[in-house]
Amino acid sequence: MKLEAKGAPQSSAAKIKSKTYTYSNSHKLFQRALKVIPCGIPGHFSPAPFVPPTMYPFYADRAKGSRFWDVDGNEFIDYMCAYGPMVLGYNNPKVESAASQQRQKGDCMTAPGKVMVELAEMLTTTIAGADWAFFAKNGGDTTNLAIMIARAATGRKKIVMIKGGYHGVAPWMQGYGHYGVIEEDIANIIGIEWNNVQQFEEAIAANPDGIAGFIATPYHHPTFADSEFPAEGYWQRIRELCTKHGIVLIIDDVRCGFRLDMRGSGAYFGFKPDLACYCKAIANGYPISALVGIDALRTVAAKVFYTGSYWYQAVPMAAALATLKELKRINGPVLMNKIGKKLFDGMVKICGQYGYDLKVTGAYSMPYVRITNDPSNMLHQEWCAECTARGAYFTSHHNWFVSAAHTEKDIQKTWNIVDDVCKLLKKKYGEKY
Amino acid sequence: MSYDFIKSRLHLYAVLQNIEDLVQYDEEAKKLIKDWNVVIKFSVKGSGNVYLIFENGKCTVTDSSEKKPDIVLFFTSPAHLNKMFDGKANPIPLKGITKLGFLTKEFPKLTERLEYYLKPDDQKLKDSRFVTINTVMTLNTALFALKELLLFDPIGKHIAKKIKGSMVMMNVDKGPAVYIEQKNNGFEVHKGYHEQPLAVLQFKSMKIANDFLNGKMDAFSAIASGAVATKGHIEWLDAVSPVLDRIALYLA
Repeated sequence: MKLEAKGAPQSSAAKIKSKTYTYSNSHKLFQRALKVIPCGIPGHFSPAPFVPPTMYPFYADRAKGSRFWDVDGNEFIDYMCAYGPMVLGYNNPKVESAASQQRQKGDCMTAPGKVMVELAEMLTTTIAGADWAFFAKNGGDTTNLAIMIARAATGRKKIVMIKGGYHGVAPWMQGYGHYGVIEEDIANIIGIEWNNVQQFEEAIAANPDGIAGFIATPYHHPTFADSEFPAEGYWQRIRELCTKHGIVLIIDDVRCGFRLDMRGSGAYFGFKPDLACYCKAIANGYPISALVGIDALRTVAAKVFYTGSYWYQAVPMAAALATLKELKRINGPVLMNKIGKKLFDGMVKICGQYGYDLKVTGAYSMPYVRITNDPSNMLHQEWCAECTARGAYFTSHHNWFVSAAHTEKDIQKTWNIVDDVCKLLKKKYGEKY
Repeated sequence: MSYDFIKSRLHLYAVLQNIEDLVQYDEEAKKLIKDWNVVIKFSVKGSGNVYLIFENGKCTVTDSSEKKPDIVLFFTSPAHLNKMFDGKANPIPLKGITKLGFLTKEFPKLTERLEYYLKPDDQKLKDSRFVTINTVMTLNTALFALKELLLFDPIGKHIAKKIKGSMVMMNVDKGPAVYIEQKNNGFEVHKGYHEQPLAVLQFKSMKIANDFLNGKMDAFSAIASGAVATKGHIEWLDAVSPVLDRIALYLA
């Protein structure tokens, strides 16, 4: 893939070239789904946060490389990457071959496959400070296990987490007031602001010998808001405080993992967590997650009973092994950030030519992107929807994802779509924004 | 805050304000109050005061009044007010004894009309006029109640901290609108459209609004299917959704 800059993308004075998609099959399928599935598509795949949902595809038919096709045959350059798991491109041949070979030998068996040991060896030699690995299915499995280990290791109850941080869907991870969450579920959760060491110090002072763990993402990437990197020295100070007060430092690297640094995001930001949670990018879409930890927590990790029917599936482990090998070979995180930088620098420039301020925060491999001109976000939402309906799949509420499979052709086509949509909005709103 | 206190606030500030719309949309109520020129004060010890100002064929419901009340209906506690709304207690008239005839004969006719519209059933919902009035009232009740819950309900108070600077408008397409905005560490609710709303939840029709607001349709399905449109800071709509659902805990 060539990534040399071809010069700044220029806005075109020509007419809008791209046509918008229609989604009749998606919508028909959704009506069928409503009869048999609560709200049709539950969870983070729900179309409800899209504005308007009718300009987005609801169901995918197939995917290859950086693209997916919906049930209406519309083709999309995918900037959500299945909300993170797709990292090498859909149907990556190396990953699929490894998965296929393992499938022929066995997948869900009465004992784990040899590949589980190989994968643990791969993770402990790849991730800085990881002495052991424990496998599960979803990111939330590992964040939950991490706090169980922290509590078992310290004999304490309280967990400090960042307000607006996302660690999964178990009741303690959700806010008070969310459906099905009761006050007792979050009684031992202390929420503090991101990048605020003082609040952590205050929490420690208010709960002497009471805090079992501190959990946070490597940098703050909430939904509906700009991402924020750690302030200089933030993680180092958090590390010091955790060490001084016997608090287990847990990093939720589920989203950032292997999109910032193959050594883990702790190494990227220069600190050593006690426990680190991985999922999404680990197996290019195969269902597996991993908790890695330091030697001092090995024994207690062994004591915590935590398991699931499919947690020993060998195929996802083989896929993970192949994914990690490939990511290492191509230096995936560096490549994805390079692709992202070119893509987003170009988009910022195109938007700027129409007077639109496109703000890109977080890592280029998974940035939060928004047009800031309209404080209500409605312009940004319309921009995302119009781009999506022309083949560049953008969401307005969540950070995007770039994969190693996004190509120069994808970038160019995305720029063309962005240019078309900016032109459309400028024509519609003039100087209003 | 006690359950009775919160319930009384909802009765005072979310239910009674519907009289403004009742006398505007319901012909029977309109005729009834045509010549009324009276200020009625509901005074609830330990909860709050509300003034119903009837003049020029209109009603204004407010928590303060420059005009002195002609009638003061006193309630010894929030529970006392709640019992009255359940038909199990009567207020204590502190002022306006001479208007007992009005209080016992004319005013109850108005509250009966209010009750009629606030308690929908399948038969009534076949009438499009009823649907319209019930929807307007339910929409307004929802946001006025939301304000009280954000101030006093335990979950509402928790959510209120997360929606600083928020402004949410709910409306029926080409129909009624109401919005709530956070101001001066509190919340204000206004009937009508905001020129530049920051978050919008728009119902495609009165019927959809009615189904949605009466819990017959879940938000995710309604939004995804296009029956309800959201835009702007939808994270605020998402945040207040569980609070809106708590209205039924107090007013069901």
